[in-house]
This record gives sequence, structure tokens and C-alpha cells, in this order.
Amino acid sequence: MKLERWNPSLKAGTILISVILLSFQYLVSLNLLVFGISLLLLLFCSDARPRQIGAILIPAAVAAFGLFVMGLYYSRGSSITDSQLSSISAVPYAVRAAMSQNLYSALQLATRLLAYAGLGILFALSTDGEYFISSLMHQCRLSPKFAYGILAAFHLMPGMIREFRSVRTAFAVRGVHAGALSLKPIFTMLVNSVRWSESVAMAMESKGFCGEAPRSYYAVPKVRWADWAGSFGCIGAIIAGMLFLRY
Amino acid sequence: MQREKALQLEDLVFRFQEKGKRNILDHVSLEIEAGGITVLMGSSGCGKSTLAAVAAGLYPENGGFLESGDIRLFGRPLKELNQQQRAAYLTLMFQNPDLQFCMNTLRKEMQFCMENICVPPEQMDEKIACAAERLGVSELLDRRLHSLSGGEKQKAALACLYVMESRCVLLDECFANIDRSAAREILELLLRMKQEGRTVIAIDHQADLWLDAADEIILLGEGGRVAARGICRENLAAYRPVFQEQGLFYPQAPERLYPPRPAGDPVLSFRDVSIRRGQTVKKKWSRKPEPDEPFLLRQASADFPRGCMTAVLGPSGSGKTTTFLAALKQYPYTGTILLNGRDLSRLRPRELYQQMGIVFQNPSNQFITQNVEEEICASLRVWDRQMPEEACRQRADQLLESYQLGRYRKYSPYMLSQGQQRRLAVLSVLAGGQKLLLLDEPTYGQDDRSSRAVMQQLRQKIEDEGLTVIFITHDRALAAVWADRIYELCGQKLVERAPEELCL
Repeated sequence: MKLERWNPSLKAGTILISVILLSFQYLVSLNLLVFGISLLLLLFCSDARPRQIGAILIPAAVAAFGLFVMGLYYSRGSSITDSQLSSISAVPYAVRAAMSQNLYSALQLATRLLAYAGLGILFALSTDGEYFISSLMHQCRLSPKFAYGILAAFHLMPGMIREFRSVRTAFAVRGVHAGALSLKPIFTMLVNSVRWSESVAMAMESKGFCGEAPRSYYAVPKVRWADWAGSFGCIGAIIAGMLFLRY
Repeated sequence: MQREKALQLEDLVFRFQEKGKRNILDHVSLEIEAGGITVLMGSSGCGKSTLAAVAAGLYPENGGFLESGDIRLFGRPLKELNQQQRAAYLTLMFQNPDLQFCMNTLRKEMQFCMENICVPPEQMDEKIACAAERLGVSELLDRRLHSLSGGEKQKAALACLYVMESRCVLLDECFANIDRSAAREILELLLRMKQEGRTVIAIDHQADLWLDAADEIILLGEGGRVAARGICRENLAAYRPVFQEQGLFYPQAPERLYPPRPAGDPVLSFRDVSIRRGQTVKKKWSRKPEPDEPFLLRQASADFPRGCMTAVLGPSGSGKTTTFLAALKQYPYTGTILLNGRDLSRLRPRELYQQMGIVFQNPSNQFITQNVEEEICASLRVWDRQMPEEACRQRADQLLESYQLGRYRKYSPYMLSQGQQRRLAVLSVLAGGQKLLLLDEPTYGQDDRSSRAVMQQLRQKIEDEGLTVIFITHDRALAAVWADRIYELCGQKLVERAPEELCL
């Protein structure tokens, strides 16, 4: 089964529960397994492009490495005291630190971050935004007013980006230097956006959209037994890992 | 037998602030018969768009205060209907084609519209196919809406209203952002809808496109009250004074107000300039756009003479604005562009912008402060950093006064009307003493009186200060009336045209 076909609400729920479960354990092997399986699933059971996966993983890997180094050098409560460490002066500090239990706790932290990252991209790269929102509407009773509001705002994005570019051009031509982080073009763009959202809301209303009245649906995302099986399988596997894995 | 009334408004009084003094709609009474095409005309700010929103029940629900009045759609009081039921009688199409959709393709948008009025899902596919066929938008169904041209977007918007089968469609300046050929195509679709027995009410400030199609033209005056009605092609001439009184375009062949000025030496010259279509404005690290994108300009040459007004014509989406951006070094090009005989590529941006300014189609994008006076001061300071505070303020007030903007000194620029915003933008752009001004659609969304004011002021500046103006427009009449030299962007070239060639 493709990951894309997994009901997005169930998928989101499963991943949320998995993340919470993972935060209660300290198993390096489980973390690595979760991360690895997420990647394999993405590569072989979804339409996500390997490039995209790589692009998101680079910052995650950097953060994990940072956490690892931090955990290695600066964690408290290591089994060897500082005085003992400094007494074996023949061994470099890094090695001494690594010999201590710090290595294990550093690995715990770093791999946990990787596991989170794996689960995160598993959801993000295999889920269509519109399908997710429509599923939230039907499976989680999100009100249509909200759901279509989010969709409309989402579809305004390309326009807003275009607008932002033209504001920056206009500023440059007026001799006003607006840096990458300058708030001025953002302010101008926001003034426009407020107006836009009003117009879009009125256009939607004039087409008969009102939040409360009953409406028909062209397509209703369904929850099949395979969706439930996938969810229970994932959560079950993590619980099993927590119970049976040692390190 | 008396025909059914599609829309009945009785003694409407509407304003935006409950305690405010100015009524946008002031005792408006109006009845429109079902089954025809009716055009409501009025000058900018006379309240015609507000009238449309009130008639559809969008105001006061989204803001404003309705003091009195009774609205009926096909005989049924609006108050008794909810949004869903109203849509069966009346739906609206808006001026800005970008801001009418909530989904990302036309097919999904049409599904959304039908879901709103509870059409059973099994009928939707058939209805969509049928409507798309009828309006000739089948090939647009699955394209991304934001990648469509303005005219295509308006067609898509109309297709949505069509598929909802509402008995009356109300179009709010739906031709304002699109060129004439696209407007004609939409007009054709509206005639088809009329044949099917639907009512069309259009709001516009130009009558010429509607003359053949409209059953009746109604002129709205101050406060949205009816100034004259029952106008059609046959009796149009009798109403000419009313058109003029209301500051509206009277449909006629364009008449020149100024003799053309003799062409001086070129300020800006294009030599074999090629520009490709691309998604992004110039990026610093890659000056070349995608090589396989189609050409907008291909080895085009043109001269823009000093002290003259030059128009650049072309349908929307043909690359007029991009051409301007290239001249401002904000878009990559190949070939040579000369400014006062110097190659553009050798000029530093600051030097360049000290000689040349631009006012965009949407002037509210270029305001950098939240106060009209401050806006001019900021501009003066950009170009003369040593200018003392007091002198700067005085000069700004002087400039504002000369453009009749003095009394708006303390306003926010965003609160001004379209025409005033454009005048303010011109002022702030020219504050550094620039001698070359580029304007993108200077009369966009404005009535006759206001566009005349903008153009006249520019003309005056040309006479007095030797300013050079180049403007982009899709309005051929505007170019024929005001420009000394006219280029048309067609077939990837800039072709020079004589004003007489453009007369309609």
C-alpha cells in the first residue's frame, strides 16, 4: 500500500502517538530502527523524491550531531567524576569524555532527534494538504468554515509571494534599501493580505458558502481496515520495541 | 403582463461607520427586470460596488451599517434567505480575478461551489463537464488557477457562477483587469447565459463594450442614486450631458486634447533587446533565466524621445511590465539598453534610480511610510541626505499642495482613493528630481474624470519641467488620446504605431 493512501487523519494520529511513546524511552536501537524504517517506507512506499528527503534531512542531521556533541561534553551525572578524569592526563579529553557514560546519553539524545525527524518527514512528504484537510473535516469534525478558510489562505500563497517580490522591487527603485530581514516590505504585504482575505471571504460567501448550513461533498475520505491495521501495527511495533529491546 | 423583477432595492441607506456622517448609499431605490443584461454605470466612489455587495447581502454582514431599506431577490425578501439560498438567486463576480477562488483548480472550485448548495455528488461530474463545454473552458479545468491569465481567470469565475445555476449573476467591474479581446469573449458567454433565461447585471465605468449587448444602461449618480435609466444604443446621444456631468467615459472615438510634441533625442533606447519569460525577478547569483522559456521580446529595438509621452501597448501577459523591469535592471535581458547614451549595465543602481522612477499598477505596494507627508519626506531624504528637517517638510507640503493632496497630509497613504494613491506615488517617485518616469497602467480601475486628472497632471509636468513619460496600457484609446509616440508589443517586437491607426 502506498503511504499516500493511508488516511491522513489516522496517519497524523499514529505519528503523534509514536512521538509521545518515543519520548518515554531511551533506547538507541529503537530510535535508529524508527528512523531507518521511516526512510525505507518513504523511499519504497511513497512518491516522495529522494532529493526532497535529503534536503530535509541535512538540517536534521546537523542538529542531531550538535546535540550529540553537546551531550558528550556537557551532560551532568557521568559515572566518572571530573577529578578522576583530569587525573588520567595521558588520554586526550575527548576520548576520556567518550569513555564515560556520556557517550551513551549523547547517542540517546541524537538518535531520538533523528527518530522524530524520520517520523516528521514520513508524514510531511507523503500527505497531500487538501486531502488532509478534507479528512480532518470528516474524521475529526473540523468545521468547514475553518477547513475552507485554511485552504483559501493556502492558495493565496503564490499571490503573496509575487506581491512580496514586487514590493521589494518597488522599494529598490525608490532608492530604499530593504534587507532580507527588513520589516517594511512585510508590512506592506500584510496590509494587502488583510484586504485580500476580506475579498476572498466575500467571494466565497457570494458563492453560497456559509459555515453552518449543511453541504454535500464530492469526495469523502474513508477509513478502511488497512488504515487501522497500519496504525495499530506501527504503535504496536514501537511498544514491542520498548519492551524487548535492551540498548 | 409585467415582467418579473430580479432585483428590487427600496430606499437603501448604508454607511461604513454607524456613527459616520457620510452615507455611501443614500436613499437608493432601483428595480431591475429579470431576463436581460443591465449595466449599472457610475463614477469611482459613487458606491456602485457597495451597492452590489449590499444587494447580495455581503454587507452589512461583513462590515458597515444598513440604516434602512428593503432588498428583494425575485420577489423574496433577502433577510429571509441564508447565504446558501441567496446563491440560488444571485451570485457575484468580482473585479480582481486573483481573489475569487478558494481551491487551486477550476474543477475543484466548481465542486466547492456545488457542495455549497448541496448538489448531490454523483451529479457533479456531469454538470462540470456540461458547463465547461458550454462556456469553452474545458482545457482550463485542471490547470492551476494561479497560472492562468487574467482573462482566463475571469472566465473560470464565470464558469463557477454558471455551474451554480443561480438565476441572476452580478458582475462587479469584471473587465477592469483584462484586455478587450478577453472581455469580448466573456461578453459572448454572458449573451449565451441570457439566452438561457438568466439575468445579468454588470457594474462598469466604461460603456463601449456593453453597448451591443446591454438591454438597458442605468447611470448612477451621487450616493448610488439613479441619475438616468433606460439608456441603450439608439438613444445614447441624448444622454451625453449626463455622462459628462457624472464624469464618465462617453463611448466615442478618441479625440486628442494636445498636439503631439516634436520628438527630441532619445532618453531611453533599446538595441536588439531580448527578454525571456521567467518566474523570478533577477537573482544575483544567476543572471541567466531558464534557457528554454519562451521569448517575450526578441531582438527588439525602440527609442523613447525626451520630453514626450510614449505609450507601450499590448495585451495583458505580453510582457510589458517585464520590459519595464528590464529597463530598471530588475530583470535579466540580453542586448543593449541605453539611458542618456550610457549603457545600463555600467550604471550603478543608485545612479540609475536617480534618473528614472516607476509607478506600479498597484501604487499601494510602493509606500514606505504610514503617513502622506512622511512619504514625500522619506523620498526627499533618500536622494538628499543632508536636507534639514524643516526644509524637507516645507518642500513636501509644497509638492503635496501642487498635486491637490495637501489636505490629506496626515492621512495614511492606504486610505486614499486609487487616483489619489497614484498621484502620491508619482510625487514620491519624482521627489529626487528624476526626469524619466515609467508608469504601469496609470488609469487602471479609474473613471474618466480621475484618469483625465492623472494624465493631465503628467502632461503639465512634461510641458513645465521637461519630464519624459513612458506608460504601459492595454487601453488603445488612452494611448491614442495622450501619447506622442506609441509602441505596440506584438510578435516579440516593439512596433511603432501612428495614433490614427489605433482609432476604433
